Amino acid sequence: MNESFWIWPLALFALTFVLGIVAVVAGIGGGVLFVPIVASFFPFHLDFVRGAGLLLALSGTLAAGPLLLRAGLANLRLVMPLALAGSVCSLAGAVTGLALPTDLLQTALGATIIAVAVLLWMSSGGENFSEESDALGERLRLQGRFVDHAAGGVRIDWRTRRTALGIASFAGIGFLGGMFGLGAGFANVPALNLLMGAPLKVAVGTSGLIISIINSSAAWVYINRGALLPVIAVPAILGVMLGSRIGARLLPVLPAPVVRRTVIVVLALAGARALLRGLGIWP
Amino acid sequence: MTHPQPDQSDPQEVYARWLDVWTHIAFAFAAVALALYLTGALAPFVAPQAVVELWRLPVDQYLARAGAPSGWGWLSLVGRGDYLNLAAICLFALISLVCCARVIPAFLRRGERLHAALAVLQVVVLLAAALNLFPGAR
Repeated sequence: MNESFWIWPLALFALTFVLGIVAVVAGIGGGVLFVPIVASFFPFHLDFVRGAGLLLALSGTLAAGPLLLRAGLANLRLVMPLALAGSVCSLAGAVTGLALPTDLLQTALGATIIAVAVLLWMSSGGENFSEESDALGERLRLQGRFVDHAAGGVRIDWRTRRTALGIASFAGIGFLGGMFGLGAGFANVPALNLLMGAPLKVAVGTSGLIISIINSSAAWVYINRGALLPVIAVPAILGVMLGSRIGARLLPVLPAPVVRRTVIVVLALAGARALLRGLGIWP
Repeated sequence: MTHPQPDQSDPQEVYARWLDVWTHIAFAFAAVALALYLTGALAPFVAPQAVVELWRLPVDQYLARAGAPSGWGWLSLVGRGDYLNLAAICLFALISLVCCARVIPAFLRRGERLHAALAVLQVVVLLAAALNLFPGAR
């Protein structure tokens, strides 16, 4: 057996284990970190890295899903309309993205992520959740209750606001995610928290479950095109799944400000990397 | 940390339970498949030496040089180490579809027809993606 054949899968497993922990705590799929890191430091072609990145985001969020649902940190009724809008539009976005130049896509992605990080940083640091429902949110029963153990067992009853705009946003986010080849968790969390009024931890947890559904549809595009190389994708899947379960256990006990800062730092780093790459400064 | 006893018929709990079971099955399947592949216990379709040489190429060139299939053509090669791993990957991609399908009756039993309809539509979208039916995605 070729020596390189062993080394790279093991290195991928170690890297993705760490990424799995960070991804759940930050409410992202992990692909946004995996793709630039592996494309820069591993010998695989970007086609296979993107395919593995998509599966990595998918499997990490699948692994964390049961814990997040049972803890009330992910809400299935909130997931259903948003994931449906997102998954349909992500397929349309993937088709559009294939027709655009890669440099243009990378630059737009970097600028978008940095803008989201700045927006989140400038918004109020406290919990931002809605206790009043709008008509559509009421009809869809988009409401829930969770106990914030990190805040001394405070019980939070929340409802969504601006629900129609929220669903439209997820259609747009799904389109952008499909176009950029990512799970788009970087946009899910602010849309759920700032726009729709879901508490930050519920936004982070629900974002993960939404990614698991949206990425399932996009993953089939890669599978059907033969762009998933098992020796790259499977070690990445196993590593991120183990890491994600640890991340999901950490999420309920981490204070909201820590989660918030983690999200902002992760977004800024990933955004800067994508922007530099798109501009050809750090290819 | 303890949580209150969940309502076993609540679609959220049903989804969590099925997600938990299927994710464990897919994880175990993938771990065994990877071990069989990397140890050489199950012969691959594309030799390891060739994979190392070709994984730097774009997907179209890789498929052409390796003689590997695209679409669902790999099904006939599932007895090979590499394609057994692709089967594991497909299993992960199917989990959301299975869970969404499973919560349809759970929503209907509670009279939540709107959410049941959303779950049906989600299943249709995922099924169409899996079967490569979206125009332009091929």
